[in-house]
Amino acid sequence: MPLQNFGSILNFAEELESQDQRFYEAAAGNPACAAHQELFVQLAAEAAKNVKTVQRIRREYVTEMILEPVRDFTRASFCEACEGAAVQAAAEVLATAKRLESRAERYYTEAADKIKALTEVARALKTLGKIRKVRSAKLAPLG
Amino acid sequence: MALPVMKNYINGEWVESDSKTFGDVWNPAKGEKIARVAYGTRADVDQAVKAARAAFWEWRATPPLSRARYLFRLKDAFEENFEDIAKVLTREQGKVIDEARGEVRRMIENVEHATGVTTLMCGYTLEDIAKDIDCKGHRQPVGVFAAIAPYNFPAMVPWWFLPYAIVSGNTYVLKPSEQVPMTQTKIFEILDSVGFPEGVVNMVHGSKEVVNAILDHPDIAGVSFVGSSPTAKYIYERCGATGKRVQALGGAKNIVAVMPDAKLDAAMPSLITSYYGCTGQRCLSGSILTPVGDVADALLEKFTAAAQSIQMGDGLDEKTSMGPVVSAAHKQRVLGYIEKGIAEGAKLILDGRQAKVADLPNGFFVGPTIFDEVSPDMTIAREEIFGPVVSVVRCKNMNDVVELINSRGFANAACIYTSSGASAREFKYRVKPSMVGVNIGIAAPMSFFPFGGAGQSMFGDTKGHGQEIFNFFTDTKVVIERWL
Repeated sequence: MPLQNFGSILNFAEELESQDQRFYEAAAGNPACAAHQELFVQLAAEAAKNVKTVQRIRREYVTEMILEPVRDFTRASFCEACEGAAVQAAAEVLATAKRLESRAERYYTEAADKIKALTEVARALKTLGKIRKVRSAKLAPLG
Repeated sequence: MALPVMKNYINGEWVESDSKTFGDVWNPAKGEKIARVAYGTRADVDQAVKAARAAFWEWRATPPLSRARYLFRLKDAFEENFEDIAKVLTREQGKVIDEARGEVRRMIENVEHATGVTTLMCGYTLEDIAKDIDCKGHRQPVGVFAAIAPYNFPAMVPWWFLPYAIVSGNTYVLKPSEQVPMTQTKIFEILDSVGFPEGVVNMVHGSKEVVNAILDHPDIAGVSFVGSSPTAKYIYERCGATGKRVQALGGAKNIVAVMPDAKLDAAMPSLITSYYGCTGQRCLSGSILTPVGDVADALLEKFTAAAQSIQMGDGLDEKTSMGPVVSAAHKQRVLGYIEKGIAEGAKLILDGRQAKVADLPNGFFVGPTIFDEVSPDMTIAREEIFGPVVSVVRCKNMNDVVELINSRGFANAACIYTSSGASAREFKYRVKPSMVGVNIGIAAPMSFFPFGGAGQSMFGDTKGHGQEIFNFFTDTKVVIERWL
């Protein structure tokens, strides 16, 4: 499904953050991941906060409408399966976590570029991408 | 299934009108009825004004900061319900969801601006205007105000006035457009949850009978109106006859000039949005496109391609970039203008008459339309179409542009695209419209600047929002004081 305007780009961001929140909450409750529980709780909380941030961007930064559709930007390349975090082995969960962080960073970076005509929105998305880069760095040495 | 019926909100309660006359509320994307609204009566208006009048003295004596706190709470409640308001708006008005979000944002910005009452409503004082005599100007609320709102911005426009009126200590009666009553009903449900004192804010749905009852009511001190110019003039005259304050914002025929030195690629997104955003149903929409000199062919090639890329559909669908017009009747009106353009000899280079949207065969859709070779005396260059129809009037130079703009009668907004500071200065200096955009396609003042036009686009002298709005909602009582 194409992501071709402000609303769809922000709605998808909200979906990604919500999916990540659910994943980390499940991972935090997984006994096999007890060694990383504190980190997963923190990442889930951050994702929950990011949901609010994305909603705020969608509410507050609608300053100018762009009617021309954004081109060549679709959901498909950012969809990741991440079920099973509550029961999987720690290595598997960590691998998925790294994929999710990388996916989100890539999404925010590309979305910011696609919507650069709305400069405040682009800046906010870039910031969210940077947050994901930091999270990726935290996960990198694990597993 | 029975359709929901919109109720009035009077004295802090939802009440049904005694009216026997009802109108239908439509989902314009689907062409189906979604609600009914009672066309209220003079008795309904009188009941609302009585409630507002009864609430006035206690409310006007409430400290301004306390009044502002209600607005702070209201802002929070609006933020919490932001998406719900936007969705209701799109469903009954047709604009795309991002446009609805933008409108709700602008509505909230007026609430935010109005919370500055403790600065914005201050009076002034001067000691020693004569020996031992001081003079003070106190700004006092006046009484009951009312607003009559249009269909094109059902959330935002009433809030160009309402928050300023009540934060200044006045009480209020709102009549939303009978075509789109659901949005303000949703907003008033949220307002009700904030707990304003009974009677401070009231809403009466209806049509002409409610309008005339407001205009004639002896206990209403002033009226704010936004709509067409003939109705604005009618409101202005009738309010004058009954001694009311009035600000009546009318229609427009906005011209966007594109100079040969304009950066076309950078301009195109905002340019195309100017004409087709909100399906052309806004008083700041571009209506006439004026290429100046030899830019015309390159401009029209890019502009037409961009117009063709617009995707019509249900505004709630993320893929949609332009929704329907508001009603079947309005669709016919817009189509009628396209026929007139053809009959009068304009060259139709993009035809939106047969526009169809798959799965929405009954929607009120008109596709992006462009006329080239339009002369200034043609109907489509003189009258407000209020739809996605662009009339291209080519000009040779800046003088021609200014003459064209200043000869329209309407004088709401005008825009110029240029890389030249000198051209921009000359343009903004000489054109009559009161809202001017430089490399901006929709010259929309934000809440802290005044909104309104000149000429046939504005009847009255105080515009919507901005700092000046506090003049409309207050009387400056001058006290000249000496202690003997």
